[in-house]
Amino acid sequence: MNKLIGLAAATLMATAAQAEETVVWWDFLGGGDGVRMKQLISEFNEANAGEVKIDATTLEWGVPFYTKVQTSVAVGEAPDVMTYHASRIPLAIEQGVLDEITPADWEKMGFGEDDFAAQIWDAITGPDGKTYGVPLDTHPIVLYYNKDVLGAAGQLNDDGTPKGMGSREEFTAMLQAVADSGQVKFPLASVTADGNFMFRTIYSLMGQQDGELLTDGEFLVGDNAQKLENALGVLQEWTKAGLQSTYTDYPATVALFTSGEAAMMINGVWEVPTMTDLHADGKLFEWGAVELPVIFDHPATYSDSHVFAIPAGSAQEPAKRDAVLKVMAGILNESLFWATAGHIPANKNVTDSAEYKAMEPNATYSTLTSNMIYDPKTPLAGVAGPIFDVMSTYFVPTLNGEMEPAEAVEEISYELNDM
Amino acid sequence: MIRNTRKETLVAFVLIAPFVAIYGLIFIYPTIDMFILSFQDAPLIGEGTWVGWENYTRLPRDRRFDTAFWNTAYFVALSVVPGTLVALFIALGISRLSGRLQALVLALFFLPYILPVSVVYRIWDWTLNFQFGIGMHLFDWMGIDRVPIFKMTGWFMPAVAFVTVWWTAGFSILLFLAGLRAIPQEIYEASSLDNASRWTTFTKITWPLLWPVTALVLTIQLILQLKIFDQVYLFSVGGRPNDNLVMVYYIFQRAFVNNDGGRAAAIAVVLFVIVIIVSVLNFQLMRFAERRP
Repeated sequence: MNKLIGLAAATLMATAAQAEETVVWWDFLGGGDGVRMKQLISEFNEANAGEVKIDATTLEWGVPFYTKVQTSVAVGEAPDVMTYHASRIPLAIEQGVLDEITPADWEKMGFGEDDFAAQIWDAITGPDGKTYGVPLDTHPIVLYYNKDVLGAAGQLNDDGTPKGMGSREEFTAMLQAVADSGQVKFPLASVTADGNFMFRTIYSLMGQQDGELLTDGEFLVGDNAQKLENALGVLQEWTKAGLQSTYTDYPATVALFTSGEAAMMINGVWEVPTMTDLHADGKLFEWGAVELPVIFDHPATYSDSHVFAIPAGSAQEPAKRDAVLKVMAGILNESLFWATAGHIPANKNVTDSAEYKAMEPNATYSTLTSNMIYDPKTPLAGVAGPIFDVMSTYFVPTLNGEMEPAEAVEEISYELNDM
Repeated sequence: MIRNTRKETLVAFVLIAPFVAIYGLIFIYPTIDMFILSFQDAPLIGEGTWVGWENYTRLPRDRRFDTAFWNTAYFVALSVVPGTLVALFIALGISRLSGRLQALVLALFFLPYILPVSVVYRIWDWTLNFQFGIGMHLFDWMGIDRVPIFKMTGWFMPAVAFVTVWWTAGFSILLFLAGLRAIPQEIYEASSLDNASRWTTFTKITWPLLWPVTALVLTIQLILQLKIFDQVYLFSVGGRPNDNLVMVYYIFQRAFVNNDGGRAAAIAVVLFVIVIIVSVLNFQLMRFAERRP
């Protein structure tokens, strides 16, 4: 009898093992956020042992990742689920690499349009009205600042936020005051050697004037060119006045700020873990992060989203599909932890929670979600896309004072419309 | 013994068949496909539509193609002849040394050649980075203004050419040393009996007898540098990519960034033709130069 029970138990276990679905996962999260994602994945695997198992691989960010996705879809070797940038969805639809997330899929995950900010939902929606991604987060750029330096220069408000965030004149005066206090080499560290990065700042400044990059398929129509010129003009003015670092690449920018040689830095929220970890080790001054200053008419911040996407042709079997949906929903529900990577979770239920509202520095800058602007919806847009390359080529000389903003805008208009 | 030539031919065919099959599959077939693709408006992967010569006729009007073409030519001019000359000078110097010292000095010059390009990029970025580069402190110390070498168009190509020469000279030095050792010692002994000066010995003996090796080094360098990509890509990522474009970089950009497989193929065909023309011209010139003395 005992033998029989043992046999039955063994059979049961074998069926359970067979029923475990392995979900092949690709991401491009190589930095501090990648460490946090690995933890989320292993927690998910523990909680769902015997049912669903994530088999994750991290690949090189940018063009290498997206090229690999494209080729793997073509030969039917794509993963079951992958991370994607919302800004690259228009190109992905044109390339036919994404599977639709159907209304039935949304229902099974227990999420819908109401759970996300309107801009994010719009970014994952294709021209056909179908949705192609499940938003994980929003990752805007913010202004990081050194509280010790700003405090000593008398540029902090009572609540510990920087002064002079309301207008171009105020902010420039604040930079000047920090410079005059003689504590740092540069009041502002800017990624002036990397036009790819500066696209985010400059596009934000265009957004503050309600500028549009793409209007009905044409670039920089009407006074939009002037708005781009204004944005470049203010940044060049800071360079010429010696208020920001010149020819600084991305790692050098972060180093200038963390070493205390620059008092402020405009960078993505993904650098929050860097600061948190350094500070915890006692290697960093008191710091904070706030929404970008209003240089023009109203607040606006460029943002992109990490989304989950299902490659075309992957996860078509119902059991596999359900497992993939479970994975995406599972991570979305745990995205409070993802917020420690600096990102603002896309899931509104998380950002509305009391725990999230108590999280710093996220809570201070998460007000910007109502002022977010996303990339224009065109296959030419997106991180590491063609627009980035054109802009970058003219941003670098302009921001460092080699080229006049008007000339740069003329060249950019010509090249963008020539693509 | 009577040789059965038909049988031998058959055996030869059987022996080379595996190579021919693989060569055809991974080289000939893709090349033919590339030519066909260049006449289509096609994405990187997937079906395209036939557009005839359009991908080619738009090239003369294409500003980025223009930049890529002239940058490549400029880079070849900056790297091929100077690189060969530098290698020759170093080889002449090393050949005067002997024993372990020679082996040590040769190893030192050869060392950069074994580095992967990513390491070469890191080393020079650490040296010449505008904010934190070690070299910039040298500038400060000498009282010269810092120069953002890899971020200014005027400096970019010469700097990349310099780095490339530093990186690849080792292999050319090795070829030159082999060439120098192949020159019979008796000739030098005879010339010293004739009281020939060092300069005369070099111009009348070493240089002409070394010419086949020099021609080989020049040809290898020429073909290699026409295909320049890695260094330019690494040094300009995020910076001013469209100002620093070279031919292969532009092919990469069109194909992988813009998803224009057809237009990328057309540029690749143009580069293919340029490499063939330049190589043939180079080879004929070398033969001509060899016959003249």
